Amino acid sequence: MRTPLSSGLAAASLVLLVAGLALRSWQVVLLALPPIIVLSLGSLFPPAKPRLSAVRTLSRERAEAGRDVEVKLVVRNDGPTLDLIEIVDVLPRQFAIIRGSNHAVVSLERGDAIPLSYTVRSPVKGDFRIGPVRVRSLDPLALGAEDAVLPIDARLVVAPTMEDLRRTKLQPRRTRPWFGQVPSRQIGAGTEFWGVREYAAGDEVRRINWKASARLDRLFTNEYEGERSGDVVIVVDARRESFVGTETDNPIEHGVRAALGIAEHVLASKNRVGLIVQREVIDWVPPAFGRKQLYRILDHLTQVRPGGEWPFAYIAWVLSRFFPRDCLIVVVSPLEDRTALNAVIDLEARGYDVAIVSPSPLAIEWRLGQQRPEDKTAYQILRIERDNLISQLRRVAQVVDWDPATPLALALRRIGTWPRPA
Amino acid sequence: MASTRLIPVALQTAPVVMLALLVGWAMLDVSAIGDGRWSAALFTVLLTGVAAVILSAVLHGRRIRAIGPIAVGAAYVGAHAFVLGVQLMPALVFLSVLISQVELRILAERFSPLYKAALRPDERTRIHGALGRAILRLMVAAVLSVVVPVLAADLAVAGIVPATTIPTAIALAGALVAVVALLALLPSLSRRPA
Repeated sequence: MRTPLSSGLAAASLVLLVAGLALRSWQVVLLALPPIIVLSLGSLFPPAKPRLSAVRTLSRERAEAGRDVEVKLVVRNDGPTLDLIEIVDVLPRQFAIIRGSNHAVVSLERGDAIPLSYTVRSPVKGDFRIGPVRVRSLDPLALGAEDAVLPIDARLVVAPTMEDLRRTKLQPRRTRPWFGQVPSRQIGAGTEFWGVREYAAGDEVRRINWKASARLDRLFTNEYEGERSGDVVIVVDARRESFVGTETDNPIEHGVRAALGIAEHVLASKNRVGLIVQREVIDWVPPAFGRKQLYRILDHLTQVRPGGEWPFAYIAWVLSRFFPRDCLIVVVSPLEDRTALNAVIDLEARGYDVAIVSPSPLAIEWRLGQQRPEDKTAYQILRIERDNLISQLRRVAQVVDWDPATPLALALRRIGTWPRPA
Repeated sequence: MASTRLIPVALQTAPVVMLALLVGWAMLDVSAIGDGRWSAALFTVLLTGVAAVILSAVLHGRRIRAIGPIAVGAAYVGAHAFVLGVQLMPALVFLSVLISQVELRILAERFSPLYKAALRPDERTRIHGALGRAILRLMVAAVLSVVVPVLAADLAVAGIVPATTIPTAIALAGALVAVVALLALLPSLSRRPA
């Protein structure tokens, strides 16, 4: 590879040569020789072509956003002695190096190995690849270089952080015939008292209401409210227009965090959870129970990147074809456009129960902005517009206007049971 | 241990001292010019170079740093080529010292950080070896840069090579152009896939 210095020396000798010929001065022509001699020596002793092998190990292959991951890289020289070699382990641009370095300039003899150890942290979620290792064998006099790439990649899945919603009350209003934890307002197996009826043959003895039986001289049996489970479908709006702010602080990242927290909380209450993500493509996870479903949802949420120009109404089409009708739809959207209002009205009209969590893009913009007086005026106007949209939406659905700087649990706790019972 | 501490200091100091010497040398020669216009123009070029060096050191600007040695060299060669007349030996020494200064600065940039890190004895030996080889090559290049042109000049003056004829001048110029072009293009040609 040609370096700037070798190009500069070649140019200098040409200039002196041309100047010497133009001035008809053989002394000036001879002055063109020193750069040529230095270049010739550089060509006679070029840097050796690196032949290296490398092994990389990660302390973990899956990590939560913001967690440290240790990377150990060992590069071994299988070729000739390298006087000066520059090694860079290529990292995704989102990664920050906390300790150590992914870069080294060393001298390596044949068979020698150099260990590189460093700690990285990703503030954003994603499916990342660490590597390849790029190597440059340098001529110490900067007259040439030889590049090589060691194609060893390591996969590191960074999962989004999860909102802690343990103390919030979040449950579907409509239930399905499976046992769960949601009161169904129907008689069935449960713990909440519902009423008393006359004893029928086959009733369990422990359910006989002895006080009522003694008073009325007939056997009576207690009835309980059946506890069932329901379906919740989380819709994450990750369209391009929903992206406001920075890579780490934007409504989509916060929305993903909220969606994961809601999914975990609802699955823990023995309900089925499904997911729809509206991004470059519309992808979805059909409703299911359990821990495996949480991992499925986590995998899909890890891939979420802003993209796509879909109208919000397409969600209704996907819902009507692939998801059960009597489920609770939790829309996680910054509500950047007014078409959301029509889409939610449409969903309500189709018989869906809709609740909305809206990470406020205004709060993010205000935090990131310079907060000058004119910004404050603009903020207030936009705030009124957003409040207006939310109050219109509240006629058909329950809306949580969430400032992502505060925990989602706090915003949900302020409104009690969410969504409110019918 | 002491040498390990001294080497990076010496490496970083040497290019600065060499550049100061070169600037002083060029200033002396330029100030010897009687013609005020030439003198002013060449001083401007020289001071531009000095300013570029100082600015690049203050602002850590790599792009403007290259202007420094180019301007100093241009002022010296310009002064001798256009006004004072070229004296071959000092001019060759000046140019080879100028090239060595640039090379030494690069060596300092590459090797000083290596010495600052905690080194194992075998690592230190390896780095000493690499630095020693580089400095030896640089010294050989500097000596050859002076000796070869002087020999060529002597041969020409002695009449062994008739440098004063037009065909020889054309052949010499053609050969130099070919060598320079070959050196400049060879790395990119060798990297092209077969």
